[in-house]
Amino acid sequence: MISQSRELENNRPHDRNNFRAPSFRLLSGERVGCLALFLFAIVSPAFLLAQFQQPTDEELKMTVDPKAPGAAAVYLYREEITNEIDHFHSVYERIKVLAEKGKELATVTIPYIPGADKITKIEGRTIHADGTIVPLTVKPDDLMTFKIADFQENSIVFTLPSVEVGSILEYRYRYSYNYLIYMPAPTWWIQQPYFVHREHYSFQSNFPGLHEVQIAPEAHVVRDANGSAVILDKHDAFTLDITDVPPQPNEDWMPPLNTLKWRVAFFRPFVSSKEFLRNGKEFWDHAEKNWADEVRDFTNPTSGIKKITAEIVAPSDTDEQKARKIYAAVQKLDNTAFSRIKSKAERKKEKLKDIHKAEDVWKQQSGTDDEIALLYVALARAAGLKVAPMQVVNRNRAIFDNDYLSIEQLDDYLAVVVLDGKDVYLDPGQKMCPFGTLHWKHNLASGFRLSEKTAVIDMTPSSTFKESSHLLTADLYLDQAGNVNGVARIVMSGPEALHWRQLALENDVEEVKKQFIESMRDSLPDGVNADFDHFIALDDYNVNLMAIVNVSGNLGSVTSKHFILPGLFFESRAKHPFVAQDKRLTPIDLHYAMMERDDVTYHLPPGYAIESALPPSNVVWPDHAMLRINSTITDGSVKVARVFARNFTLLDPKEYNDLHDFYQKVATADQVQLVLTKTPPTAKGNQP
Amino acid sequence: MKISLSSATARLFATALLVFFCAPCPANWFGGKQDPPQWGLDAAKTPTPTYVKDAASVILYDEYLETVDAQGRAVEREREAIRILKPQARHEGCEVGYDVDEKINYFREWTIAADQKQYQAQDTDFIDKGDNGIPIMLSTRKTRVVYPPAADVGAVIICESEELLEPYLKETVWQIQSHIPVVFQALEVDLPAGRAHSEAWHKFPPVKPVEVSPNHWRWEIKDMPALDLRDVKSRPVWEALAARMSVQWGDAAVDGKDNQWRALGQWTTTLEANRPDPSPEITAQTQSLIAGAPDFYTKLSRVTEYVQKNIRYFIVMRGIGGLQANHAADIFRNRYGDCKDKTTLLISMLQVAGIHAVYMPLYDHRGVVDPDVPSIMGNHMITAIELPADVQDPRLKAVVKAKDGKRYLIFDPTDERTPVGNLPSEEQGSYGILAAGASSQIIALPVLDPDANGSELKGVFTLAVDGTLTGSIDSSSIGPKGADLRQFLKYTDEKERRQYWEKSVAYSLPGVTLDSFQFIQPSDLDKPIEFHYKVTARQYSHQAGPLLLVRPRVIGSYAESFDDKPRIYPIDLDATGRWRASFDITIPPGYVVDETPDPVSLDLDFASYHSSVSAKGNLLHYEREYVVRQVELPPAKYAAVRHLESVILSDEKNAAVLKKQ
Repeated sequence: MISQSRELENNRPHDRNNFRAPSFRLLSGERVGCLALFLFAIVSPAFLLAQFQQPTDEELKMTVDPKAPGAAAVYLYREEITNEIDHFHSVYERIKVLAEKGKELATVTIPYIPGADKITKIEGRTIHADGTIVPLTVKPDDLMTFKIADFQENSIVFTLPSVEVGSILEYRYRYSYNYLIYMPAPTWWIQQPYFVHREHYSFQSNFPGLHEVQIAPEAHVVRDANGSAVILDKHDAFTLDITDVPPQPNEDWMPPLNTLKWRVAFFRPFVSSKEFLRNGKEFWDHAEKNWADEVRDFTNPTSGIKKITAEIVAPSDTDEQKARKIYAAVQKLDNTAFSRIKSKAERKKEKLKDIHKAEDVWKQQSGTDDEIALLYVALARAAGLKVAPMQVVNRNRAIFDNDYLSIEQLDDYLAVVVLDGKDVYLDPGQKMCPFGTLHWKHNLASGFRLSEKTAVIDMTPSSTFKESSHLLTADLYLDQAGNVNGVARIVMSGPEALHWRQLALENDVEEVKKQFIESMRDSLPDGVNADFDHFIALDDYNVNLMAIVNVSGNLGSVTSKHFILPGLFFESRAKHPFVAQDKRLTPIDLHYAMMERDDVTYHLPPGYAIESALPPSNVVWPDHAMLRINSTITDGSVKVARVFARNFTLLDPKEYNDLHDFYQKVATADQVQLVLTKTPPTAKGNQP
Repeated sequence: MKISLSSATARLFATALLVFFCAPCPANWFGGKQDPPQWGLDAAKTPTPTYVKDAASVILYDEYLETVDAQGRAVEREREAIRILKPQARHEGCEVGYDVDEKINYFREWTIAADQKQYQAQDTDFIDKGDNGIPIMLSTRKTRVVYPPAADVGAVIICESEELLEPYLKETVWQIQSHIPVVFQALEVDLPAGRAHSEAWHKFPPVKPVEVSPNHWRWEIKDMPALDLRDVKSRPVWEALAARMSVQWGDAAVDGKDNQWRALGQWTTTLEANRPDPSPEITAQTQSLIAGAPDFYTKLSRVTEYVQKNIRYFIVMRGIGGLQANHAADIFRNRYGDCKDKTTLLISMLQVAGIHAVYMPLYDHRGVVDPDVPSIMGNHMITAIELPADVQDPRLKAVVKAKDGKRYLIFDPTDERTPVGNLPSEEQGSYGILAAGASSQIIALPVLDPDANGSELKGVFTLAVDGTLTGSIDSSSIGPKGADLRQFLKYTDEKERRQYWEKSVAYSLPGVTLDSFQFIQPSDLDKPIEFHYKVTARQYSHQAGPLLLVRPRVIGSYAESFDDKPRIYPIDLDATGRWRASFDITIPPGYVVDETPDPVSLDLDFASYHSSVSAKGNLLHYEREYVVRQVELPPAKYAAVRHLESVILSDEKNAAVLKKQ
């Protein structure tokens, strides 16, 4: 089976102490080396932990921090020391609590793996603003986090005593690693939830030259460190000293954090105990070659694959017909990403072997999303199509980082087939994804793509607004008391349709209906309820998905002369992003481009006529987005049409002002109201 | 988040995952490879009844056996069979909770797949999980979960487990209603000769037990529907509505509800005895606080506010520590603790101040603790402060009278912002155990007068010809409403507050800009908290031909969502209170008010709503008052609630019509 790992942590929220216990591997080929390191370590001088610092008067008296206005806490100092010679990693923090919320930092949770490492030398104290010191005397608790058959993770938890607003929280602890465990190179996550005044990092690496162990000079990547640089100090330790670190970004609609958060990452890009790679290029060249060999082997069009292909396609089919037929065939397989993975006991009982080749997937009529994607490649290759597998970093989790020297950052497999000389990107592993489209997390996603000899780093294209549409048509009948009832039809394509169809794979249709109605609540005016009627084509990804919904309730307000109602039935609630926030620090990621079209016909109650048509709106943000609203009055009814299109996915923060301005105009335009005026008694309206 | 008072309670509210516990035991937890038990095979043959409707799964069989030893300690065995009916239930399994004082003797699972193939869970299908989901909690409790093989639609999951329960609880709470339907369920309690038991039923008619052998009792229930509150508006908490039964076999297994409650209160009194003993440091701090206090209220409020403001909320649950408080001296020194710790320190400090107070265990939402169902079940601890006979201070509103004639002020020190004398809204109308030794009893918590809670909102605005509205809003909040605001300020920083208010204001005023905002938060909790802010809303008014439409209710909403469905559950109105708002809008030059909405006046026994719009010169004035007098109503009142909410909603949407002069 193709190996896949999603353990890259660089897009995951960091734990409170901003240090994650590294994962461990015992490298069988390096046991001798580890033993040598152990022998070396027991004679090396112990590394001293940072001593508690005497607070300055300025620190004690601080009530606000001009460098972090409004912050509930600031880090006065942080220190992380990684020492491979003595096999430990130590953390030391000094935190000033400036508001109640900052007290939450008094509780410290330190994850660790019993047997592999120990948490030692825990010390802590709280210093009140008057200088009174209250030491940590309660013994920290050692709590099991989870335990499976052969693995357990625990956490050491302690909370500092007597914490007040104005206190300085100070604590330190040390991970002491088992000497027989391979200790991965550290990653320094420089940004914290709060502003940091000063940080010090150090990494004392094992040096090369030990018997049978050769480790490359540590490669490291600095991602935005305020101009500070990592240096190799006189003790041959990598160190970084940095001041005035802003808090980690936290805004709505941010892209994945892995490329936004400041960090220094160290790598040991060695291949074996005797072969190592000197730089990033060598690493990627090597990784690409290995990856290419692996996927080429898995997708090899064996005789069995050729036989299967012959049953799916006809020799007379065009390339596109072949591509589509194979796509349809693999879409029908049991995709365990949307069903469930069989347990060992089941596989044993059903005599199912492990999957090693694409052919195995077909034989079992079941596979993971990645296995099915690669089966598609194998079948397409057997059909004579020009096709390449691609493995990308999912954009809902992270962005491919060329500086992060690890193929573990790669997530899902896709297929790129060449039809009429053009690349067509396919997502066979995403059940219910139409031919020729990708799940949005796979658009604008980078990763490896197989080329003639090896693999290259490539990016998938973005989608356009035409590929994601939400068309809403409603016929609504009003009565004189302000009640409304009618039918709405929602036609969806692209990511929205895919979402509901995939939800239906993991839930029954009644549950999908409930969730659909719940999702509509933000689109209905106050006082109006919706009841789901039925879906059309929920299980057919080749056509648009339609939902039919009945709406009823009380709409607008009735006065002695007028009836006032929302001009845009489905847009009367404030639901647009970027309207209130006037500043932006991080890029904007709206996931995918899209288009909405509302066509709502109000059938007027008897005795009322339109006071005036809605003023047409035309809000345009050139090359980016537009909103157009207009209305048409006919006898006894008014039809309101709204088109909103956004043809971008990612934006630079420099464009935020334009985005903010556009959405403010949209938000206000969507609040337009329709006024009906009472007419002489002879006037007639329509009723359902 | 408040602590669980008992591990039995923690078991009680298992949701889609089905909690279960058990009796005697083999050598290991999995018990080795075995064929499915006959009871499981029989259960798997149970047809799926029609009343399951659209449930994702159904419990076909669920049987508990509590075997109690001479010391009153129980071993619990559970046998359970669940049929998966829909794909979303594929991830269901069974789980067993345990703590440091408990032991799982065995835990096995088998699956009978839809094609009748049989599987047994292996050790790799089990996982133990720590209770670490809450950052401010330290808990030794763990859960063992099984992920059954072949758990697909049509499969029946069969679980059996046995667990030695904690030694200090002598009660079981049988949760007979779940989020999914149950076809057959049974509880057996096997007691030593001579040990008495008592039972009580909540939201379900009592079922008579069968004595299957001497002092071995069995209750059976068939065809229990699911309790699904997914789309029920204004509902009480799920736990208040779910049917359950409690069996006592300890000191509370006596005749008469009053005696049972007294025994439970006595148990708490004994458990927490000496915990509040004041240390010299506590004594010194208290004496310093109350020095010069001119009256009872001042003395009391200085102590309560000290505990509210200075003891950081941090939950510590180590075995019996989930029930028993730390010593007051430790709590005072560390300045942190959970609800029972805060109550302990408060009792301790009040003792120094010469004020007697006792523990009051309860559930933190009304409706769960049932006066007819004596039980230790709950999740919170508050304080009952005895009032001297001569104290008649109107600021002390949350006062109850015990059967012995003593008056107690009910106070929640864990709620860091509700002033002494008042009571958090969700606890009003609830019941708590007055743990006063031999005088213990169950006691109803008061529902406070509307004037103890609410807010007043005043806004002054100017409307420009282009429809832009600018203005300022001043609000003032008291009681639990004010406490909510204080709590929000406590747990947010400046940036989060701005973001929250921008979104909140934008709900009423789409496209609004929050120009400035300021909170004024007096340190005394019984003083109103003020919020002042300025806004600009573009295109607030809308042109319709020669008319300009203006919504006089500029900001804020009292309306709750409602529906037309038949109502079978009580209606929870959340809080009593009085909310007022008034807005003055200066209309643009050249316009006059052509039409205003009619005034609204609705008076009901449980609430009232009044609003009016008037025009004077170029000023459009809107004002309204909403009063809620009760917190919970019977289902029959839903039509009245619906009417009230529709009136409020309609008033909030109403527009005034301006026309050009």
